[in-house]
Amino acid sequence: MRAATLSAVPRGLTILLTAAAVLAPLLLILYQSLLTAPFFDARKTVGFGAYEFIFADPDFWHASLNSVVIATAMVIIAVPLGGILAFVMERTDLPGKRWIEPLILVPSFVSPMVLAFGFVVAAGPVGFYTVWATEWLGGAPWGIYSLTAIGIIAGLLHVPNVYVYASAALKSLGSDVEEAARVAGASPFRVATTVSLPLIMPAMLFAAVLVFFLGFELFGLPLVLGDPEGHLVLSTYLYKLTNKLGTPSYHLMAAVAICIVAVTFPLVLLQRYLLQNARKYATIKGKAGRMRELPLGKWKWVAAGLIGLWLFVGVIVPLSGIALRAFVTNWGYGAKLAEVLTLEHFQSVLDEPILVRAIWNTILIGTVGGAIAVACYTAIGFATHRRTDGWSRFVDYLVLVPRAIPGLLAGLAFLWVFLFFPPLQPLRTTLFSMWLAYTVVWLAYGMRLISSSLMQVSTELEEAARTVGASRGQISRQITLPLIRPGLMASWLLVFMIFEREYSTGVYLLAPGTEVIGAQLVSLWQGGAIDVVAALSLVNVVLVGVGLALALRFGVKLRD
Amino acid sequence: MSQRRLCIALALFGSVAMAQTVPPGYPADYAQTVAAANKEGKVVIYSALDTKAAQPLIKDFTALYPGIKVEYSDLNSTELYNRFIAEAASGQGSADVMWSSAMDLQVKLVDEGHALAYLSPEATKLPPWAVYKSQAYGTTYEPAVFIYNKRLLTADEIPQDHAAFAKLINTKADKFKGKVTTYDIEKSGVGFMFVVQDTKYFSDIKELEKGFGASSYRVYGSTGNMLEKVSSGEHLLGYNILGSYALVRAKKDPALGVVLPKDYTLVLSRVMFIGKQAKNPNAAKLWVDYILSQRGQKLIGSDVELFAIRTDVDAEYTAASLTKQLGPNNVKPIPVSAEIVTYLDQKKRLDFLNAWKAAVAAGASGK
Repeated sequence: MRAATLSAVPRGLTILLTAAAVLAPLLLILYQSLLTAPFFDARKTVGFGAYEFIFADPDFWHASLNSVVIATAMVIIAVPLGGILAFVMERTDLPGKRWIEPLILVPSFVSPMVLAFGFVVAAGPVGFYTVWATEWLGGAPWGIYSLTAIGIIAGLLHVPNVYVYASAALKSLGSDVEEAARVAGASPFRVATTVSLPLIMPAMLFAAVLVFFLGFELFGLPLVLGDPEGHLVLSTYLYKLTNKLGTPSYHLMAAVAICIVAVTFPLVLLQRYLLQNARKYATIKGKAGRMRELPLGKWKWVAAGLIGLWLFVGVIVPLSGIALRAFVTNWGYGAKLAEVLTLEHFQSVLDEPILVRAIWNTILIGTVGGAIAVACYTAIGFATHRRTDGWSRFVDYLVLVPRAIPGLLAGLAFLWVFLFFPPLQPLRTTLFSMWLAYTVVWLAYGMRLISSSLMQVSTELEEAARTVGASRGQISRQITLPLIRPGLMASWLLVFMIFEREYSTGVYLLAPGTEVIGAQLVSLWQGGAIDVVAALSLVNVVLVGVGLALALRFGVKLRD
Repeated sequence: MSQRRLCIALALFGSVAMAQTVPPGYPADYAQTVAAANKEGKVVIYSALDTKAAQPLIKDFTALYPGIKVEYSDLNSTELYNRFIAEAASGQGSADVMWSSAMDLQVKLVDEGHALAYLSPEATKLPPWAVYKSQAYGTTYEPAVFIYNKRLLTADEIPQDHAAFAKLINTKADKFKGKVTTYDIEKSGVGFMFVVQDTKYFSDIKELEKGFGASSYRVYGSTGNMLEKVSSGEHLLGYNILGSYALVRAKKDPALGVVLPKDYTLVLSRVMFIGKQAKNPNAAKLWVDYILSQRGQKLIGSDVELFAIRTDVDAEYTAASLTKQLGPNNVKPIPVSAEIVTYLDQKKRLDFLNAWKAAVAAGASGK
């Protein structure tokens, strides 16, 4: 009895801390949205003025509509492409699969801020590729600033998000039905669209909801690409409110955030419901026997070509743009590449102590911070592992909450918490504030990584330990933990990459001592230090690249 | 070895001792301020000027007062304000010195009692409009300019004054379709302030708004963005661009041209004050005095490449050189005064924004 009470203490504490870290910012945002001034301002009054203001602002409705349009476009583009891509990669004899696989995931690990900026310098009206196309072909038949273009680019960049779920579902599905269809004379494309993809419908549906939801949260891409023609989406509208009235309009921003959460939280719940359903489905699908690769025949080169084109547009164009821009002094029409080459921008980065610190901090928050975050996620995982009481269900829902809050606002809420919660005040200008915000914002992602590791540990081992009298704590420490160690290492690496990539959460937490590359990029972009943005972006890409290379080297599965 | 150390120690002592002598013209008790500042040992500065640009000032200040460490952080002007009021409200103390180009926000902070009253001994050397309530000081003299792409604009197209700018984008609306840029006045406080001033000095502003609409102008929140896009040729013309940044880039960038409008040139002055809750008020005083001193201003007019507000300094970028170039009546500094906070009133600001948007939209539809 006593042992049981004791072992309940760490669990209770874990749940309590998680609840505090998740709910404090959300409640603060909710409270702020119901005031007429910043909550720390003595002149504030309670009321619905903030909501009345934004609902009366035509920009809000434009932004909402744009968000819906972009999110829908993303679903229309990313879901079929991601599904077909998964089919081709999992089921067919496509050449060079081993090389393509890691490349496919690149767009989901590179900061959207960096990619967007890459698109501007590569394919913008005077981007490198645009200028080349104009010189050789007499014109460039594309534009990247229209709403349509933003939707298409966002759609292409989210193909990997669909791909990971679709391919995981295909893996668990026997290929015998497909072979039957093939024998009956169906073309590979027909097999994909009429047999394989319908079989993994639950996973596709889940991915569609996910992509729609990500579309609603999109920030970096519309911030950079939507600027020239003034296309606002909800998150950039929220950001714009920082200044619209001349002084901060936290109440308006909070109100917009609550509107966003009102859309995203139901989506998160829907995802959860679909995921559970998908698991139920998995058992009634064909036998997971030996997979035989479908010969693509003449389709082989079509498929390879299309994948190549997609990789070219989604990965090579923006990243090569960034890389080039980092090494030139100016660009555009009339600039000769040989004359404008320089290493100056990297020198500027190294000359500026803040940026050097940003690079170190980014490495630190990814490595050490990532490790501690994984430790926290593991602790939360153990608090609910193999338990079905109310607390477990509470935590299950709890970890989904931060997913629904836009990173930008979550960061602002954490700034408030660190400013006005006395025990945390001394930590505000340390990297800890940034780390806590990151860890909470990525809680749902991290928990999925951990729980998929935990699920792989079979119950027999734990039960065996229990029969010989081990306590829950002992089982966790001595049986489960050692068994999931490889999974934890993999999670660490993935969290590292996610933390290197993160940018919006840090925007408001940026302070002397907490500089990280992602947030610094947003700030520098706003300030217009484009040379430095390019150089720093490249550093960021290299950091992510190192993580990716390590992951491949150690055979980490790049998806959960 | 020990001898060398002794030398270093002596040199350090020497410079400290030197720093503690009172500059000429300063009150005798200034030595106490210096001593107290040395005891504080640091000064925390929040500034909208990026660290890299401010580096020469920080280095020189540290050379002058080796005992005082400068903790400098750059944020955009709105963030600066947000952070300052949040920190002040949390009672944890904020920046010792606030230095920002958002003149209206700075004046608002002073009006709301966030500034420490401190009459700098250098104040008499400044134009009267740059000293506000003995608390805040204008420190620079930065013109608002036109920028253009040198490779893509012909010599006769380059607008030399506001009327020519408006005429150009109205008459050649096709060439300039989507190629004219200025601040998004909803995002940029500085851009907003400039336009408000324009309504005072430019009687034909309606023509300009019409032209912006007719040429479907593109708006941005940041200066650097516009410089980049005009330089690359994505845009051809930029209106009301902060000249201090434009001129620095134009020096290195063969594609970027800068025009100081001949009819009138607006001038912005970065406002500096000491925080009321400053933890290092004495060090903050030294910093403010240093920035306003001839030595600091000379650097601002040279290495920092802003414009010195003092007329008695000899440097490349100064108020004097600008006035000489344009004629004394054509330079229109925005005064550090209570008047500039008018449009921080929510209703007035929204009305102004809506009127502006409507005028531009009318231009776009050809009315």
